[in-house]
Amino acid sequence: MNKARTASGSSTLRKLISKPEFSILLILVVMFTITAVLQANFFEKRSIVRNINAFAPLILLTMGQAVVIIAGGLDLSAGSALSLVVCVLTFVMRKASPETGAWAILAALVVAVLIGVINGIGIGYLRIPPVIITFATSYMWLGAALFLRPTPGGESVDWFKAFYDFSALPGASDSLKAFGSWMPPALILLLLGCLMWFVMKRTRMGRYIYAVGSNGNSAYESGINTAKIQMQACVINSLFIFLAALFFVGQTMSGDARMGDPLTLKAIAAAVVGGIALTGGRGSVYFAIVGALIMSFVNKIIFFANIPYAYQTLVSGVIIIVAIAGSQTYTLYRRRAMARESTLA
Amino acid sequence: MNVAARMRTNPAFRFVDQYKKLFIAFLLIIFLFLLGEVTVSNFLSFAQLLLTVKLASFIALFGLCQMIVMAGGGGGLDMSVGYTATMTAVLTASMMDGRNENLWIAMLVALVIGLAVGVANGLLTAYVKLPPLVVTMSMSLILQGGINVYTAGANITGKPSPILQIMAAKSIGIFPNILFILLILTPVVMILLYRTKWGLALFGTGTNETAAYLSGVNVKRVRCISFVISGILSSFIGLLLIGNMGIAFKDMGSNYVMPSIAAVVVGGVSMNGGDGNYIGVILGAIFLQTLTNLLVAMGWGDAGKWLGFGIVLFILLIVYVNDIRSR
Repeated sequence: MNKARTASGSSTLRKLISKPEFSILLILVVMFTITAVLQANFFEKRSIVRNINAFAPLILLTMGQAVVIIAGGLDLSAGSALSLVVCVLTFVMRKASPETGAWAILAALVVAVLIGVINGIGIGYLRIPPVIITFATSYMWLGAALFLRPTPGGESVDWFKAFYDFSALPGASDSLKAFGSWMPPALILLLLGCLMWFVMKRTRMGRYIYAVGSNGNSAYESGINTAKIQMQACVINSLFIFLAALFFVGQTMSGDARMGDPLTLKAIAAAVVGGIALTGGRGSVYFAIVGALIMSFVNKIIFFANIPYAYQTLVSGVIIIVAIAGSQTYTLYRRRAMARESTLA
Repeated sequence: MNVAARMRTNPAFRFVDQYKKLFIAFLLIIFLFLLGEVTVSNFLSFAQLLLTVKLASFIALFGLCQMIVMAGGGGGLDMSVGYTATMTAVLTASMMDGRNENLWIAMLVALVIGLAVGVANGLLTAYVKLPPLVVTMSMSLILQGGINVYTAGANITGKPSPILQIMAAKSIGIFPNILFILLILTPVVMILLYRTKWGLALFGTGTNETAAYLSGVNVKRVRCISFVISGILSSFIGLLLIGNMGIAFKDMGSNYVMPSIAAVVVGGVSMNGGDGNYIGVILGAIFLQTLTNLLVAMGWGDAGKWLGFGIVLFILLIVYVNDIRSR
């Protein structure tokens, strides 16, 4: 009796360790520690804010990507969609007239939703392989962005700085500046994104997204409109992209038709590192944040390791492959071990 | 026997049905040339057609790598082809130094690079079961990074050997030589895919992975080999590319990646695998090159080119992928 209890106690621990979430969090803690050791002023308020600003776009894109992947899709057009939304924002805005900012936000939101709808029609209704269809649409977004902004540039209204830094806002009150120093806009956008998903996950749609991703056919047979759900997932993704675009324009005050391209692969890789299965239906959007944080910390470590600029593409490519291959091998290994255990029992 | 069934047994109809997508691609090319003739003067001529084919031949060559990988199914896609080619071109430029005697060294280097990239892609996708797209995209990052490192240290010097220049850039009379390479390559590829055991195994894997596995096909090895072939081929295309351009530079190959995939789609080769008619890919490449020429002639520039590519791909995907599905 006693012996059985100790055995069950150790197996609870083993179960905890064997959870993929545990290893992901462990990696995060390790990366966090290394960065904290390397960066002398890591815990100062200013550098925390700077880090949040540097990490926020990738985190937002990864969360959006995670929703699409969980619904059984994949969005290769996320990066160029981000560029397009940024170009729309800076195309509509005129520095001289502040009210154009509101129109720009409205136009960008419409474009973002349209992007999601078109991707969703391809993935959900036409059931073209997601990789291929979003690959095609990514060039549509790139082309459209190049139409609006052939060369990097453009202008932005001053109050858009509020999406990056409250203290850069002209005429900001001291209390707002003080608020911004511990609650930067990037963090507010992130919390907004989290809140959005927190609410949506609790709706019927949130559960259907998982159902469609894990087994489309049985979801369909249970009466779920799978195509609609996948389209909704794509629209949620473009809302995250929209939030990231607001931040980018606040930061750079200009647009560039190719700025988003490198982020696509990083976001997918971050989602995979965060334990989102590319086969769909498994993983948590909040752990996608952890994945994005891990990737961001790795980038920071590369930066602190004083690697020459020419080597950075090489190193980040190697790291993405190692990270994805590592997490995949680990998952395969765990699954095999669990299968072995269940046959023994 | 009703009319539809009678039509289906009619050999002429079956021929049309089987090669339907080739006809569509062919008609699209004719349509583009006519459209060009109407909107831009002097668009339709034999010389123009040959020039288009010459420019399209590199898209078609990269499309071959793409097609072989896609035929294996499982979301196969090789984004690293252009970067492998660039890597080979950049590294071999100074080795060849414009002399034919050094060509064999360059070919050896090309083989090693292609083999390394292909084996890495193949192992990671087939055996570690990572999505091909993510693997090959990261591989292109790594290759581009390697090229950056190499070019940061020193300028790229050297010229291709004359043989390569003759093969890729020169022409006999009005016919560009690279056209003959395509003409030789096409039957070789068709025989490899349609008449060998390996080709059958590849198509079988692409059509139905489980059925192929149960019939004794080593599915993982077949897919891995398809990536190795793609790597080696793209590496050798890099030699032709430097032969055509005369010099090597940093992003000489990367612009071909997107068109090579598009060519396969336009050519009507299924992206779900189990299919691979290289003639379709060549037609697709010619179509894309004609489209680019037309958009450039109309003064739409870069934006119009990408937008046009994206929209055409989108529409063709809708048209081609409608042969699905029960639900």
